[in-house]
Amino acid sequence: MDSQNPFEGEISLNRRKEENSVREVRHGSRGGDIELLGLSHKEIGDDDARLVYLNDPVKSNERYEFAGNSIRTSKYSVFSFLPRNLFRQFHRVAYIYFLIIAVLNQLPQLAVFGRGASIMPLAFVLSVTAVKDAYEDWRRHRSDRVENNRLAWVLVDDEFQQKKWKDIQVGEILKIQANETFPCDIVLLSTSEPTGVAFVQTVNLDGESNLKTRYAKQETISKIPEEEMINGLIKCERPNRNIYGFQANMEVEGKRLSLGPSNILLRGCELKNTAWAIGVAVYCGRETKAMLNSSGAPSKRSHLETRMNFETIILSLFLTLLCSIVSVCAAVWLRHRKDELDILPFYRRKDFAHGAPQNFNYYGWGLEIIFTFLMSVIVFQIMIPISLYISMELVRVGQAYFMIRDMLLYDEESNSRFQCRSLNINEDLGQIKYVFSDKTGTLTENKMEFQCASIWGVDYSGGRTISRNDPVKVDGKILQPKMEVKVDPQLLELSRSGKDTKGAKHVHDFLLALAACNTIVPLVVDDTSDSPVKLLDYQGESPDEQALAYAAAAYGFMLTERTSGHIVINIQGERQRFNVLGLHEFDSDRKRMSVILGCPDKTVKVFVKGADTSMFSVIDRSLNTNIIHATEAHLQTYSSMGLRTLVFGIRELNNSEFEQWHLAFEAASTAIIGRAALLRKVANNVENSLTILGASAIEDKLQQGVPEAIESLRTAGIKAWVLTGDKQETAISIGYSSKLLTSKMTSIIINSNSKQSSRRSLEDALVTSKKLTITSGITHNTGASDAAAVNPVALIIDGTSLVHILDSELEELLFELATKCSVVLCCRVAPLQKAGIVALVKNRTRDMTLAIGDGANDVSMIQMADVGVGISGREGQQAVMASDFAMGQFRFLVPLLLVHGHWNYQRMGYMILYNFYRNAVFVLVLFWYVIFTSFTLTTAITEWSSMLYSIIYTALPTIVVGILDKDLSRRTLLKYPQLYGAGHRQEAYNSKLFWLTMIDTLWQSVAVFSIPLFAYWASSIDGSSIGDLWTLAVVILVNLHLAMDISRWSWITHAVIWGSIIATFICVTIIDAVPIFSGYWAIFHVAKTELFWLCLLAIVLAALIPRYVVKFLYQYYSPCDIQIAREAEKFRSPRELRNTKIETNPILGSPHR
Amino acid sequence: MSSHTASSSNGGNGSGDSGVPKRNSKRPKYSKFTQQELPACKPILTPRWVVSTFMLIAIVFIPIGIACLIGSRDVVEVVERYETECIPVLNRTNTVQFIQSDADKTCNISMTIPKRMKQPIYVYYQLDNFYQNHRRYVKSRSDEQLKSASKENDTSACKPEDIANGRGAIVPCGLIAWSLFNDTYSFSRQNQSLTVNKKGIAWKSDKQKRFGKNVFPKNFQGGGLVGGATLNESIPLNEQEDLMVWMRTAALPTFRKLYGKIEVDLEEKEVINVTLMNYYNTYSFNGKKKLVLSTTSWIGGRNDFLGIAYLTVGMISFALSMGFTIVYFVKPRRLGDPTFLSWNRGPGSH
Repeated sequence: MDSQNPFEGEISLNRRKEENSVREVRHGSRGGDIELLGLSHKEIGDDDARLVYLNDPVKSNERYEFAGNSIRTSKYSVFSFLPRNLFRQFHRVAYIYFLIIAVLNQLPQLAVFGRGASIMPLAFVLSVTAVKDAYEDWRRHRSDRVENNRLAWVLVDDEFQQKKWKDIQVGEILKIQANETFPCDIVLLSTSEPTGVAFVQTVNLDGESNLKTRYAKQETISKIPEEEMINGLIKCERPNRNIYGFQANMEVEGKRLSLGPSNILLRGCELKNTAWAIGVAVYCGRETKAMLNSSGAPSKRSHLETRMNFETIILSLFLTLLCSIVSVCAAVWLRHRKDELDILPFYRRKDFAHGAPQNFNYYGWGLEIIFTFLMSVIVFQIMIPISLYISMELVRVGQAYFMIRDMLLYDEESNSRFQCRSLNINEDLGQIKYVFSDKTGTLTENKMEFQCASIWGVDYSGGRTISRNDPVKVDGKILQPKMEVKVDPQLLELSRSGKDTKGAKHVHDFLLALAACNTIVPLVVDDTSDSPVKLLDYQGESPDEQALAYAAAAYGFMLTERTSGHIVINIQGERQRFNVLGLHEFDSDRKRMSVILGCPDKTVKVFVKGADTSMFSVIDRSLNTNIIHATEAHLQTYSSMGLRTLVFGIRELNNSEFEQWHLAFEAASTAIIGRAALLRKVANNVENSLTILGASAIEDKLQQGVPEAIESLRTAGIKAWVLTGDKQETAISIGYSSKLLTSKMTSIIINSNSKQSSRRSLEDALVTSKKLTITSGITHNTGASDAAAVNPVALIIDGTSLVHILDSELEELLFELATKCSVVLCCRVAPLQKAGIVALVKNRTRDMTLAIGDGANDVSMIQMADVGVGISGREGQQAVMASDFAMGQFRFLVPLLLVHGHWNYQRMGYMILYNFYRNAVFVLVLFWYVIFTSFTLTTAITEWSSMLYSIIYTALPTIVVGILDKDLSRRTLLKYPQLYGAGHRQEAYNSKLFWLTMIDTLWQSVAVFSIPLFAYWASSIDGSSIGDLWTLAVVILVNLHLAMDISRWSWITHAVIWGSIIATFICVTIIDAVPIFSGYWAIFHVAKTELFWLCLLAIVLAALIPRYVVKFLYQYYSPCDIQIAREAEKFRSPRELRNTKIETNPILGSPHR
Repeated sequence: MSSHTASSSNGGNGSGDSGVPKRNSKRPKYSKFTQQELPACKPILTPRWVVSTFMLIAIVFIPIGIACLIGSRDVVEVVERYETECIPVLNRTNTVQFIQSDADKTCNISMTIPKRMKQPIYVYYQLDNFYQNHRRYVKSRSDEQLKSASKENDTSACKPEDIANGRGAIVPCGLIAWSLFNDTYSFSRQNQSLTVNKKGIAWKSDKQKRFGKNVFPKNFQGGGLVGGATLNESIPLNEQEDLMVWMRTAALPTFRKLYGKIEVDLEEKEVINVTLMNYYNTYSFNGKKKLVLSTTSWIGGRNDFLGIAYLTVGMISFALSMGFTIVYFVKPRRLGDPTFLSWNRGPGSH
């Protein structure tokens, strides 16, 4: 039973997202059969079960206190906010460091700063985060309140009364009207439809907008709760988060019925096309499946941040070094002055005032050293740039703001903006080396279009014109299919000619099969306009089926109505009713489905459709051999064109055959044990000796701009891997049409069935690829950006081979081979294999991986990759939910990576370096001064200025630059995708830059400290005045340092840079205007002297000149690509650029002026 | 084809070209801000720019440097170190004992004026190796107490100089006040005494705001060990200017404090006789004591450092601008030349 686990089963051809199809409940499986054999009647142990007494909430809740229906998505209440929020925030190591420092400072022996000043930075950071959290939580509270106070009809005293959602209890019977949302998870009892069908839309739950059908049990359909008491007991499994699974049984009137996922209505879904539905609440509030599923994406850490942590460790070693130097020197000083300390005017160890002289505030030599060490940690604490963490968060929020509002990333069609679901990895977008892409729905639109048909050995693929078929009149309404299909004129003519001629008969049967052999629910779109023309929308779970039904409609076979017992097809304007006698669902074993129709002419026919491999095994090959051969040839052509093919067959059942089948079918569908297997057996019996009708070919259209996007990514040095569940031929043809594969490439194809053959083919392939790369070996080394581009190799490998390769020692071989190839195409892979392939690369390189996909089968891959991107397409929200970023189209990947990724990476890399520098230069100035205070950690800079330094004086400019600075314009970045290589080469942040920055920091701190030192040596300068000079000098210096590195000055940049400097002057003035501080009025005195201003000027220039010189020499004589591009942007006219020959990439940036 | 792709997705010229906007459209509104297209200036370090900035620095810095040097040289400064001379020869082996004894500590020194000094001539005392910035020391004061009489007992920061044995709080308390400098100088030339104006040596702000006019010294130096000067208990703190000067703690271990001003000109080669009372104990920590007479100029005291620093920076800038000019002519690079891009430089391309 390999279909039990959707991830292990073989991947079928004509179904997308196969594991969905297994999990989802389809038409016909009335009994909510549980797929696992033998489990259908599994006893749910009393311990594991919850017992729900119908219409008896008191008894239901007697034994166990089930959750009420009020929900709480908010995390805090007014009272719990403070402790819980603080607890959550202190999960950060950085904050704990901060806290320890603040606590240390509270010890009287170590009190370096006043109490207020020492707590301020931590309090500031905590309160900023707390305010943000509180705001978010307040919004959640508000939405909870709205949700909880919605009204629903609940049966109370034999009468349906309105009740607030929050008061609904397990066991109560509810009535839901059309278009209402279900307030909790409900087991369906009866509906307005006599057959007990209810249509629901699950868009809120899984994002799929098509209608799903749910069934009431036959035994309860007829019950009217207002009139007769329903007594019963539902025994169901404990609340869990599987929205596709439900196991329960119900005892009504002594009968025991089993319940499955098709009998339950989930909270958040809406009732559609059904007047009312009645059901009993089984899971409420936080125990509903919707609530259990509402968890965010797992958080990822950015690569840059991980690297940064390494440098943070270096900085903490450096901090330890500084503190050790201070404490050792202090120890030497104390030892040296041992005999003088007692009465030394500035030490006075002995206290003479209180009786006998005794030591005052002196704890012995050893302890003094330890105290000095701890105090120096407190004084130099900002060496570890704690503020960097909060700045990075703010910057990422800002970057996300701009990404979300970027018009280039807005998808008109789905009306969706870019979404930043994870705020930790913006900068990783600038370093992506591998892109793993799903095919269907990601590269292609997953909007199936019927293209060709091969009917009875004749190929009809001349579909050019769009048919505006004569609309069909039904009940005074004119119906028109929502989607237009290109039709082949010849086929159209044949289809209209009735079924009299032999050729026309086959066409008739084929088109009937298209229209009938599916699970499509036709819906008339209720628009408010009075126009008699109504659009007919085909709702179904498979886009292929939708395409086929629309195609049939275009040829005059319009499915207009479906109930559980019959379908109505309007054939060339004539309404015909077909009884659906039975329907055998699609499953991944048989890879086909069939429907048994009772036709108006009293014949019974079975129509089968399925994948070619599975169909040819059940088609009677002895009949019509020529036609079978012709069809096979057509299929070959179609799939090489990248089309998805399906084969149709038909058989007429005679009476005895029908009776036989009917009995077996009835028995199977009412069976309690092993229903699924029995049904499958019945299906297999009837689906044989078919007459071939023909084949259809559906085009899965490429999304707009995909070939260009792939070309851009390739030029940028990003390797694209495509992982698809589709078959090899389709995958390869899509590969060619999307320019992923080019004719220049050498393809290596690996299809193996065993481990040995896999190993052999891998080794052979490795030899081949080596040969190919050796011939181009000379250029190989120089063309660093894309090594394999000279003689590119494409690897095509299928899922069966991967089964043998992944999780074995062959992984290593595959990795070696794959890295030599510029393109890798994996076909027929299962979802978990997708994740396995991502892991294969991720675990072996330090390169960044990105996975992009749209379906539930991409979730594992998206979560595995460093960056997960979800396409918010037509396939539901699971991929988006699991993703870090979500967008509407594959081609947005280009602006996302090349523009925003590049910017974010450059900004963040610079910001980290700058923050390290900024804090280190300040700490070093403090350190140099400590040497002149006999190592006692006096600071000339006031404690308030020390604390405000990273909060007010210098915080804003780096944040604003981190959000707004752009090294290159969008246009240039898109024009030269190669510029993306800067991220691959880690140009914005690496250890060389770190050490250079640190050397620069050292020089700058020396300049800041020593100029006032010598200028004021042996003068009457007081500590506060020189402290103010140092404060202002450092602040101006670091702000100008930043200013020097800004690439783009807009008014905002000007405002924050100069504003910060002015703000510092104002703050220093305010601090010096407080009479109780010892620095009272110092700034006013010192600022009156010319010496002060001359010092300031000398400091700033002397400190910055070396950096300026090095920067210029580097930029001028060994320019990086970014530098050249910047110059080109500024100095070369656009026309001149256009004439240069580098125009390899056709994607141009937006022509905004 | 490609341009079609781009233009169909940008709609950047405002919503005007995107046809009738759909209701509930989530299309981001166009603004220069949200599209990160604010008008901006993009500075690039071109050789011309760099050479000009260095030239500018040189042009500004060299004159300032010269002006600083001239200003500094204008200052006439006479420094007389006296901590050894003022100990009788016999006591020089045990200076600490001498300074702590009750012996007569009068001492006469003479200073020769090297150049004419125009009034006002500032009289400083300079201490070396005295860490007024020591952490224990700078914290040992009570600004509350200094300011208002009601906060007299606010002495917690002042330990161990907080309370005089059994007689209540010391005002002003703390080590800083306790160690108040107490050498005194009286100047004369040709047996005619020179008045030293000791008014107006403290900061006005200190007088007005930080030292209360109702606060009188109390129990000062009564803590068991005398650290320095005593204060007249009938004069409020805001008129004790020596104390105020002393309590502006110095930034560096070598510092000067203003003692007073001589408000007459002193002529070249004049000999000034100073009678000083050598009370202050710097001997226990080998501190030096110096008496300084100095005029002042716009640059402050006599210190060539800043002038030299400015000249150096100016010269270096000049040299750099010259150097860059030469290099620029010898080995120019066309700015923004796409052939320099790394992917165009490889031997694989033309």
